[in-house]
Parts: sequence; C-alpha cells; structure tokens
Amino acid sequence: MKLYETTIIYDPSLEEIRINEEIEKVTQPIAAAGGEVIDVQRWGKKKLAYLIRKRRDGTYVHVKHKSPPTLIAEMDRRFRLNESVLRHLSVMAPKDEPLPEAAPAEGGEPGADATAAPAIVQD
Amino acid sequence: MAREGESRSFRRKFCKLCLDKVERIDYKDDRRLARFITDRGKIVPRRISGTCARHQSQITEAVKRARILALLPFTTDQYR
Repeated sequence: MKLYETTIIYDPSLEEIRINEEIEKVTQPIAAAGGEVIDVQRWGKKKLAYLIRKRRDGTYVHVKHKSPPTLIAEMDRRFRLNESVLRHLSVMAPKDEPLPEAAPAEGGEPGADATAAPAIVQD
Repeated sequence: MAREGESRSFRRKFCKLCLDKVERIDYKDDRRLARFITDRGKIVPRRISGTCARHQSQITEAVKRARILALLPFTTDQYR
C-alpha cells in the first residue's frame, strides 16, 4: 500500500450527479483492492491553461488514497477508456507528510503537500 | 561582492524559497509556481531567478506536473 494523489479533470459539461458517479467509479475499486480513500477534494470547474479536446474548462477532482501499486496501472487504463476524463495524473504523495486524518479540518489548502517521486501517469 | 567605485554593481542573488523556508513545492500551487515561469511559459533558469539547486529541481518537477493538469501552460502560443 502506498500513498497516492490522483487528480482527474472531467468534461465540464458533466452534471454534478454524473461527477458523483464518476468519483464513485474511482473510489470503489480502491476500497475493493484493500486500499483506503483518505480524502476527496472537488476543486470545481476551473479554467484550463490550454485547450484539452477543445475544452476551455474542466471539472477537477483530487483524490488522496492508499492503494496497491498495481491498482494505479488499472486506474490509468480506465481513465484512458473513459471519454469524460479529459486528463488525469497520479503521483506518489510525500511520505513524510503528516497523515491527513491527524491534520486539523483542512479547507482546501493547496500549498502544503506533494513533491514526492515517480508514478507519473499521463494520458 | 560589490566593490566601491566599480561601475557595475553586483547584487548577490539569493534563493527566495530558502528565505521563506519553503520545505516543498506543491504542483497544485500554481500561483506560487507562476512566479518561476516566463510569460511564454518556460521555466526560469537558476541563473536568472537565483534559486538554489534543491528548490530549482523541486520547481521543475512541480511545473511539469502542473502543466499536465493544465494549471500552467506548456506554451502561450495557443488560445487567444
């Protein structure tokens, strides 16, 4: 089990309910594989720095999870097949970071974590 | 470094990130990273920005990740 951070950019035209379904599709296999979903952050609709499949915006979802490394490859495969995923990236979360459970109620502070090593999955 | 009477005065560059005691740079923090790319989207070299080796490599890694997630541009030619 390793600590990962997966960020997924969905098609901006997806409705809230569909996004929930999509997140379910990510979290379910993690739990099924004996992993653990630590945190799911919805960054909402953001402007993309460049066009991806002719979209100017994307709906960002950031998932922090503990998973077996083999699952990352499987996740990558599914994201690629999924038409509503514009982009995804899984990276290893820094290990010396205090576990999010211990951290006081985080309010989406995108400045404290990450920088770790390999496992870059790009589409 | 600057000696008096010299026409050109040198100012020692320092690593801004070391000054702020930044432990690690997050690829999600596009606002911070934006300071280390040029207006064309290139990563600013160490010789210009004065960042230390440790932080520069962190910046590089983070910028590249941020680009994948479209938080930062690969280049600014597109769009507009």
